[in-house]
Amino acid sequence: MGEVELSCLAYAKMYLHASQFPRCSVNGLLLSSSPAGAAVCITDCVPLLHSHLSLAPITQLALTQVDAWCSQTQQRIVGYYQANACVSDSSPTPCALKIAEKIFEQCNNTVLLMIDGEKMFPSCRVPPIVMYERKDARWALKDKHAIMLRQWEETCSIVNQLFSSGDQTLLVDFDSHLDDITKDWTNQKLNAKIMELISPANGNV
Amino acid sequence: MSSISELYDVCWEEMRDKLRKWREENYRNSEQIVDVGEELINEHASKLGDDVWIIYEQVMIAALDCSRDDLAWSCLQELKRQFPDSHRVKRLAGMRLEALERYEDANKLYDSILQDDPTNTAARKRKISILQAQGKSSEAIRELNEYLEQFVGDQEAWHELSELYINEHDYAKAAFCLEELMMTNPHNHLYCEQYAEVKYTQGGLENLELARKYFAQALKLNNRNMRALFGLYMSASHIAASPKVSAKVKKDNVKYAAWATSQISRAYQVRGCLPTSVGLHTIQVTFWPRLMSSNNCSN
Repeated sequence: MGEVELSCLAYAKMYLHASQFPRCSVNGLLLSSSPAGAAVCITDCVPLLHSHLSLAPITQLALTQVDAWCSQTQQRIVGYYQANACVSDSSPTPCALKIAEKIFEQCNNTVLLMIDGEKMFPSCRVPPIVMYERKDARWALKDKHAIMLRQWEETCSIVNQLFSSGDQTLLVDFDSHLDDITKDWTNQKLNAKIMELISPANGNV
Repeated sequence: MSSISELYDVCWEEMRDKLRKWREENYRNSEQIVDVGEELINEHASKLGDDVWIIYEQVMIAALDCSRDDLAWSCLQELKRQFPDSHRVKRLAGMRLEALERYEDANKLYDSILQDDPTNTAARKRKISILQAQGKSSEAIRELNEYLEQFVGDQEAWHELSELYINEHDYAKAAFCLEELMMTNPHNHLYCEQYAEVKYTQGGLENLELARKYFAQALKLNNRNMRALFGLYMSASHIAASPKVSAKVKKDNVKYAAWATSQISRAYQVRGCLPTSVGLHTIQVTFWPRLMSSNNCSN
């Protein structure tokens, strides 16, 4: 499997999602608006749940809705992320593996991303993520050098800006949408705020 | 930096009342509690009368949640001074040790409470929380089961146990816990809906029919429960699509699904915001049929 590129937008929203529910396990889907190829470019993400990750109905519902939205917006589901409630353990749970398997049936470059809670603090120098890829019928750790996070410093500063402006509260996940269906799980408003903060040189990455 | 009272133009009485509301309704909005509570304590402690002690407790717990050990420590000192031999304050001291991840010290404290008073439920529950924090789920489950044998009416404990079982994918036992909760709280739509979700996840025709019934029950208790509405749609659709059901059952379930569809459409039209035209025709129930369970309708 080739390189994986993680955009600032996707990273920021995942980080915000995990921060919004520090006591819960959270998960979401990774999307790409680029055509399928050797490299995977994760351009966006959709935060899904913060409760009962291992129950089927809402997960199924969310997957079908996101899938439908993706086909309307020329995006594909290319992966899955999860942050465990227990920060000392960032290994994929059976639930994470099951969903990643499901996505793999449709996309053979599927990315399984676990957020490492222990590394989520402002001055941390490394991205708090652990990536897995499908290799020889199992999920193996991906070579760190094949993971690209362009403009890492800028991404960190954007995330900090979102927290200081209070905009991190704008994030809506699918669970929150079901609690109040006036909330937008595609996060158009937050996306716009983040894109504003991303400098022109960075483009859409 | 302006104070809460300046920012929101509230007087100390309103701040005190807000704290009481959050306390009584068990909110865990810790950052807000710290902001409001810290100011109340610092500026208006003398006016609070006997309320001040319960506010110290509330603010201390919220401070632990926000990693404000400085604030937690000062609240704890006030409480220790006022109630030197209290088990309740000792438990708070234990919670502070937990927040500092000094689990052995915390356990020693809780054990000393239990030696004095073996019926102290708070200390027992904290010990179980420590097991959860350490990722020792099977032990936490075992201890919680033992606890519930003695304190069979503890709703919070039953719910916590159901959550632990769900995380361990032990759906049958999670269902059992939720059945206990539904028996003692027949009007709680959330328990019905969670029970239905567990049944749906277990899969198989019988469980799907149960799921549908309990989603419907949740809706009867609260017709705005969107999870129950979607759940009803999905379970009815699965049943209708099963080759094992009679024509009548199929017809009935198609009707239930259609009803759910219309209710969902209406809800979104009236107050929802769908990202694009993600209408109900896109909820292709058969798209991810075997996601979680190893069974499906045709077993």
